[in-house]
Amino acid sequence: MFKKFEEIEKKLQNRYSEQRDPWGLEPKRALADIKVLWPFYKYYFDVQLHGKEYVKDHPYMVVSNHTGQIPIDGMLICTAFATELESPRILRPLVERFLTSLPFLGRWSSEGGAVLGDRHNCLNLLKRGESVLIFPEGVKGIAKNTKDYYKLQKFTRGFLRMAIASDAEILPIAVVGAEEFFPYVLQMKKLAKFLKIPALPLTANLFPLPSPIDIYIGEPYSLPKDLSPEALDDELELHLIIIEKKIQELTEFGLKNRRTIMQRLKS
Amino acid sequence: MNERTKLKSVLIIGIQGALAKITAEILIKKHPEIKIHGVDSREIDQVPNRTQLTTQQLKYTRTNFEKMFREHHFDTILHLGRLGHSPALGNIHKRIDINLVGTNTILELAHKFNCKKVVILSTHHVYGAHSDNSMFLKEDAPLRGSFKYAELRDVVEMDQMCTNWMWKNQNQIDTVVLRPCNIIGPQIKNSITQYLKTPYAPLPIDYNPMFQFVHEFDMASIIVGSAEALKTGIYNVAGDDVISLHEAAGIIGVRKLKVPIIVVEQLAKIMTPIWKFPHYLIDYLKFPSTLDNSELKKNLGGDIFRFSAKEALELLKLH
Repeated sequence: MFKKFEEIEKKLQNRYSEQRDPWGLEPKRALADIKVLWPFYKYYFDVQLHGKEYVKDHPYMVVSNHTGQIPIDGMLICTAFATELESPRILRPLVERFLTSLPFLGRWSSEGGAVLGDRHNCLNLLKRGESVLIFPEGVKGIAKNTKDYYKLQKFTRGFLRMAIASDAEILPIAVVGAEEFFPYVLQMKKLAKFLKIPALPLTANLFPLPSPIDIYIGEPYSLPKDLSPEALDDELELHLIIIEKKIQELTEFGLKNRRTIMQRLKS
Repeated sequence: MNERTKLKSVLIIGIQGALAKITAEILIKKHPEIKIHGVDSREIDQVPNRTQLTTQQLKYTRTNFEKMFREHHFDTILHLGRLGHSPALGNIHKRIDINLVGTNTILELAHKFNCKKVVILSTHHVYGAHSDNSMFLKEDAPLRGSFKYAELRDVVEMDQMCTNWMWKNQNQIDTVVLRPCNIIGPQIKNSITQYLKTPYAPLPIDYNPMFQFVHEFDMASIIVGSAEALKTGIYNVAGDDVISLHEAAGIIGVRKLKVPIIVVEQLAKIMTPIWKFPHYLIDYLKFPSTLDNSELKKNLGGDIFRFSAKEALELLKLH
């Protein structure tokens, strides 16, 4: 394990300078966080990454479904990209402004690589050769009631416009297993609105269950070169459907081959 | 890069300020035949003893300014005399009088007396520090500085007044509005410099926003460059490097009291008479307000900064 991290550290050192980047990423801190997350990633959530052969050493706009009430799925995807790829990267998840405004958490997340989900930030990061992680379902995706688990919510189109503007390839990802962290959930939507927070889930368990996680990476998708970032919504619709469908297919495949908590406990 | 014009007769408003004095020195060095007239409402002292520089303490009234404009034939006006917005720096009426009424008079007279160029020093505080600020705000970003803090209202209004005036009169007079990031240096005594240098000033442990710093010498050179070569417009002034608040405090090396922001906020309220820390600056200790400098670099060239943020902080540490 320590040898693995030594190798990763070397590779990341080659890619990133020791300095913080303008968005506050501190590579050393990010790696220290990954070291802490790693036992949870490997042994508690038993994460398996599929399709890493699709990932080449260049910047991507990584687009994923969003599940699990709290954004553990984002942390697991970031850990996978930093530890399991031939050319490790610190993914830059674009996060809600609610997170960046929080004491401690906002600082911790930005030092680990998170960035306020904003068009200028996204374009600037891609321009600098960084890969960004986007959840186009937004809070609607993560904050679902039990009956809606694994139902992909409508994607927003902003990420497509940014991918066109930056000429970035879109890497579709599906995370399967995260909805089972909290099997029984009731979203207190009105109370959340009153408290001015993005979501307030009422859950049967306080700590996420050790549900095995499968991360499926799909084939990268390139948008046509002649498409303008200012194209009409209708012109983008086809591409939005294609990406949604890709992620839906990966999710369905993952659900068919899903490993359950019970199977894990038995084995 | 734009062509540079020769400056002959320059009015500097706010000559008592350290930045104005450095700017005057650079102007004299670059244009030995220049005539500079420096004015300030404060008592003027320790001004460089140069034959090219005359100074005058005056009340910022229309009559006084008109008399001065008639006597001198200014081709360029450098308005560096905005009053700071700390609650400890005088009452709000005085600030509004100088920042808004005074500036308006100066702009009107500049137009009336056929000046060719006006450079106005605004501040990055007009953008405000917000949790949803993207990194590298462009000049067209909304001015949200006074959303939370009424004490920044005159600063935002002055900026808006100048930019409105600038576009309205762009065919008659070249006007440049500069919005610099934090200006630091051994001679500058602004709030952020004082904060960084104050031992045991509270430093939030739960936030670590990114900061940009420009050295006073670089800032003065950019003001001169703006007068010589910038065309009408608004320009952010910031270097390429960005540094976190904790890193900046670390470089200065003064011991800080590391506490959660909630304690910093309370201390700022309680200790106002002793600790001259404007309340609005608390937000700058939480959230970023960093600037995109591409417009300035496109027009003045890429090599306008002699000191990086780190070097500027190192130099501040030495004094």
